[in-house]
Amino acid sequence: MSKSMLLSSALLIALAAPSAHAAGAGPITIGVPVGLSGANSVVAPSVVQAAELAVDEINAHGGVLGRMLALDVADDASGAAGAQKAFDSLVYGKKVDVLISMETSAARNAALPIVSKGKVPYIYTSFYEGHSCNRNLFVDAWVPEQQVPPIVDDFIKDKGAKTFFLIGSDYAFGRGMLSFAKSYIEKSGGKVVGEEYLPMDGSDWTSVISKLKTAHPDAVITSTAGGAPNVTLTKQMRAAGVALPYANLAVDEGTAKSMGADATGIFLSASYVTGIDTAANKAFLAAMAKKFGADEKTPNDLSVPEYEAVYLYKAAVEKAGSTDSAKVLEALPTVSFDGPRGTIRMDKQHHAPLTMYLGQVQGDGSVKVASTFKDVDPGAQCPNLK
Amino acid sequence: MLILLDVVTTAAILFIVSAGLLAIFGVLKIINFAHGAWLTVGAYCAVVAARLGLNPWAALPLAFAVGAALGTVAEWLIIRPLYRRPLDAILATWGLGIVIGQLITLAFGRDVQITPNLLGGTVALFGLDYSLYRLFAVLAAVLIGGSCAALLEGTRLGLKARAVIMNEALARALGIDTARVRLATFAIGAGLSALAGVLLTPLTSVDPNMGVAWLIGAFMLVMVAGGSFAALAVACLVFGAVQVLVSTFVSPILGSISVAVLAAVVLRISPRGFARA
Repeated sequence: MSKSMLLSSALLIALAAPSAHAAGAGPITIGVPVGLSGANSVVAPSVVQAAELAVDEINAHGGVLGRMLALDVADDASGAAGAQKAFDSLVYGKKVDVLISMETSAARNAALPIVSKGKVPYIYTSFYEGHSCNRNLFVDAWVPEQQVPPIVDDFIKDKGAKTFFLIGSDYAFGRGMLSFAKSYIEKSGGKVVGEEYLPMDGSDWTSVISKLKTAHPDAVITSTAGGAPNVTLTKQMRAAGVALPYANLAVDEGTAKSMGADATGIFLSASYVTGIDTAANKAFLAAMAKKFGADEKTPNDLSVPEYEAVYLYKAAVEKAGSTDSAKVLEALPTVSFDGPRGTIRMDKQHHAPLTMYLGQVQGDGSVKVASTFKDVDPGAQCPNLK
Repeated sequence: MLILLDVVTTAAILFIVSAGLLAIFGVLKIINFAHGAWLTVGAYCAVVAARLGLNPWAALPLAFAVGAALGTVAEWLIIRPLYRRPLDAILATWGLGIVIGQLITLAFGRDVQITPNLLGGTVALFGLDYSLYRLFAVLAAVLIGGSCAALLEGTRLGLKARAVIMNEALARALGIDTARVRLATFAIGAGLSALAGVLLTPLTSVDPNMGVAWLIGAFMLVMVAGGSFAALAVACLVFGAVQVLVSTFVSPILGSISVAVLAAVVLRISPRGFARA
């Protein structure tokens, strides 16, 4: 059963050039437990590519404190059981210096006790439902408080929507996102006329879609697991002729593109879209294209935070003067990095203020930015952490 | 009305998904746990057809042919020695399913594949806008059920298959080549499963694990149906109705386990399931 995981763990991507080893110190190892199989398998390769690019760039400029960076990628199968194996092997077997990864909430929750016990800094680079607090955990991606308001505000003000229908996968992220969306909609004067969930491996949305159609809402907001459930729900909604304003909280640009015609018109809210018009983003896109060529996976809202997190870790290690966990954890909230998404600093209770973009999927699969929301605050995520 | 349509179309989809498994269980008395893998193979035939630029409908005969061909090879290499060891056959077919899944992963990667829709849009029916494809699924289910019944009742192969079902030793004594009947049945069953895989593509994402989600439901239905297509149709309607009603009035999360729970209850009360229907 753990065959695929072991295989991928064995896939140690040592990017350190042997001649560049300084002072006899080995490389600083970054563990990347990620869902190469299962629900996250669509986006995981782009995350690995982003990490590879960051490591390459840093190593080409002399590494960190004279040491090279190396990646150790492990498959967590997008779930709790796989994550426990992947984190165990990275933290205790490979003894990595830091964990930087995008994962499902189930995988993150299962892994946190291992991270606490192993006292390894863990930068979580996936957007998630919020309020995950741990001394070792830092997050450089968005939480509902940052992602949902642009969509709801736009639907209520510009589209005149009053009633909303919410559909999600039955897991921490799906429920967390929609419960925030519900309270925000009600606070903004809207009304939620239905809220339905299906298990993550469920593939038959028949009755959920029938309820959606009978409820006659003005708009629909979905928050499924990425990958298969997202594609399945969108296909079945389109087949059933649902043509309401439709915001998908779990879709990224790449998935939208590959879904083809079914994705046209979907609204998404993200901290990264490829169309961001800054020098840092253009340089990043050019570097990605140069390094991976035809194999490049479109950079997205899950892969760019991974790229930036590697740089944030570098800055923290340099400030701390060592890879010692306690010192790095102290330095992490104080450092910042100017990346493709702008200046990122994880100084708000281990979370980061982010600029958010509301986009709509066009007929050719590209995402057009409809409006920009500057430096949206993550709110009080972890008031009990120092 | 909407619920009635949901029930009928859900039952049709369940029937399409289970037909191939039933064909093999009915005649060969072995449970083909590689069924999920045949579904996946069929769905990837749609992916291949799309990449070759073929009409999406061309994926249907292609999938049946590929499924039947792979079924022939699998019967010959793996299943044939295991007819007298049905428990080992479960293990062997489960393993075969894993192997096929991994081969698909090697060839196509773990990503979700996108296939063109066979039929899009909705039609106005009883004052409702209903998905055209789901209605087409009812037609497809009737066609599959009808042709299986015709094959079984109206052809020489069907006659021989029925003889094998009733009394294999006697059939062999009468000069029927039972090995060939078994081979043909397995090939047709695998072909039907692959065909079902293509028919699922407009409803689900196509990925290497897609078949597993459908396998358990199909297995439960076939256990309850015994060996008959008529019983399978009844089982699909009853279970489909329960699934839709529970999903609609209680919770879709409970709805998605209702088939498994109901199958266990039915088999507890009546070990032969709906086979007498």
